[in-house]
Amino acid sequence: MLPPLTSAGTAVSRRTFLAAAGGALAAAGLAGCAPGGERPTVTFHQSKPEAVPYFRDLAAKFTASQDRFRVLHDMATNLSASFVRSSPPDLGCLNYNLEMARFMERGALADLSDLPAAASIRDDVLDLTNWYPTYAGRTSVIPYSVMAASVIYNRRIFEQNGLAVPRTWDELIQVCEALKAAGITPIYGTFRDPWTIAQGLFDYTVGGMVNVREFYKKMHEIGEKVGPDSEVSFQKTLLEPVKRMVQLKSYVNPDASSRGYGDGNTAMAQGQAAMYFQGPWAFGEIEKAGTDIDLGTFPLPMTGDPADLKVRVNIDLSLWVPEVANAREGARAFLQHLMQPEIQNSYNAEFLGFGTTKDAPAVTDPRIVEMQKYYDEGRFYMGASQFIPNSIPAANYFQSIIGGADPEGTLRRMDADWARLAFRA
Amino acid sequence: MSSAPGTITAGPAAGTSEPVRAGQERSNWPVTIILIVCTLSVLVPLYVTLSMAFKTTGQAVDGNAFSLPSPLTFDSFVQAWTLTNFPRGFAISVFVSVTAVAGEIIVSALAAYAIVRNWDRRLFRWSFFYLLAAMFIPFPVVALPQIQLTGLVGLDNPLGVAILHIVFALAFNTMLFTAFLRSIPVELEESMRIDGAGTWQVFWKLIFPLLGPMSATVGIFAFIASWNDFMMPSLIISDPELQTIPVLQKMFQTQFSNSYNVAFASYLMAMAPAIVVYLFTQRWVMAGLTQGAVK
Repeated sequence: MLPPLTSAGTAVSRRTFLAAAGGALAAAGLAGCAPGGERPTVTFHQSKPEAVPYFRDLAAKFTASQDRFRVLHDMATNLSASFVRSSPPDLGCLNYNLEMARFMERGALADLSDLPAAASIRDDVLDLTNWYPTYAGRTSVIPYSVMAASVIYNRRIFEQNGLAVPRTWDELIQVCEALKAAGITPIYGTFRDPWTIAQGLFDYTVGGMVNVREFYKKMHEIGEKVGPDSEVSFQKTLLEPVKRMVQLKSYVNPDASSRGYGDGNTAMAQGQAAMYFQGPWAFGEIEKAGTDIDLGTFPLPMTGDPADLKVRVNIDLSLWVPEVANAREGARAFLQHLMQPEIQNSYNAEFLGFGTTKDAPAVTDPRIVEMQKYYDEGRFYMGASQFIPNSIPAANYFQSIIGGADPEGTLRRMDADWARLAFRA
Repeated sequence: MSSAPGTITAGPAAGTSEPVRAGQERSNWPVTIILIVCTLSVLVPLYVTLSMAFKTTGQAVDGNAFSLPSPLTFDSFVQAWTLTNFPRGFAISVFVSVTAVAGEIIVSALAAYAIVRNWDRRLFRWSFFYLLAAMFIPFPVVALPQIQLTGLVGLDNPLGVAILHIVFALAFNTMLFTAFLRSIPVELEESMRIDGAGTWQVFWKLIFPLLGPMSATVGIFAFIASWNDFMMPSLIISDPELQTIPVLQKMFQTQFSNSYNVAFASYLMAMAPAIVVYLFTQRWVMAGLTQGAVK
């Protein structure tokens, strides 16, 4: 049918076609050849940004120290996508939270109980993973670093005003009043970022008054029947702490509602306020300003009894190996390498974490040293905001309470959300 | 992109002042001022980006975003370069973008040509509507199945991302090309066929060159979309060593930490190619904006 092609025409089109095909082939080749030679590659997923150079260096050293595996430091993989594709990283080193617990609950993480490292973890720290849904009969995650959080305070401001660290709720109010009278902002609020309210004010006030674990255990049992008449509920159990949270609002900086996390760190570095409801992760940011400042921490007193004082903890880094990991053997080898005391302890010392093993040394950094006692005695709780599924916009609810919404009505709404979610599940 | 409003501002103001008196020039002032204020929305953030990139970490967090960097430092660039392994990420990004640009132009032009010249046949007409229907399917909706599919066929890599870009843009690009193709007279083609050219030859030697302006438009859109894309590479590419620049840059800003200076240095480096491409293709961009407007 077609008229005969001229030779020039054929040449051009064929050349173009071949070039295109060649390009595609080269691309496929580039993508197909994962570099690394014969050694199996262990993908090590770790995305805590400030620790990236630290772990990247560890991975490179481990790769050089033996010739069985090559450890590839990975901070770019999208975890959910990789599990969907059945090609998750071989070893994860991440914050352990409700989202991560979903993988564990569905049995996506392999059992690590036979590793010697699993036996070396403090029982009450290992038990923290059981606050979340678990997969029966497995030790799926090994806590690597625990972060303890409590109120950050400026020691010099306290000294200059002759104030001692408060140990009861009344003392706390007195301290705030004294600071206010002296013209100093008692608490720096960063209410523009909802999460800072959830993890700061809300978690500290609730954790200081309510048994968080029991509360959520019962909330799950009651499920769709959570409401005004149930044994526990947001509107009943958490009303008192939330009311106190609103009370503390009168001691924050006047522009708190337009200030974010970054502003808070800058303000604390410049000594603009006496107290700051943030965890030790903020120290690294405050430090960046390079100012000379003396900060410490104390648990927020919520009752009249100093024996009730507790600090908020979270498993900042935990190690896990997926069930479908390609390089399980290598992942376990590198996991054990990371768990060696000299490596784990020096990580925690550098990044202000608390050790998770039975023989971990005490922290020495003056900014967090005051929390060691509570950590050793097991006087800690996990943040109440961390057990609310993302489908309930809890942080935004707290933000609206701080912004002036009625606490009772908002908590009632959270109960309704909880019940709806339980009904759907 | 960024200086486009500025260019438009200068155009009419300078144009009217030339032939007539100063009185008429003044009548344009309010518009000019409004447009100058509008350019600030681009220039101010750009200034902060530039000055932040040269600041030390201490100065970057001191709360004065508008201060000039002192001392001037290039440390942020060095850090950003090593932390993201910039050369590799850059090469991958270039590969994805170039493949997407070339693929989108060629595939869509071929499809549009076939459809327009066979408009009287039902199969082609309906295939055009079928392609258009895809415009209503955004990537996030089909993200999960795409992740699984690309994983199954071994396309969980930059090539897969480029192919997905080509496919997802096919609907819009084909529409642009068909609109433009209809304005090319069939008589041109017929005269070439009388001289003995085949369909393939007609396309490459006559139609494709004539499609030039529209190809430039499509290419520019394709480049910007694929160069800046975060979601698709982040979900599709499984090997962290083959990740694109926007995804690698994610690590500079998280909930708990900000490295403004390093982040902005890195953004500047990533922006550079887009700006260079824009400088060279500026006049096609301007022409391309109105290309599909009038048939």
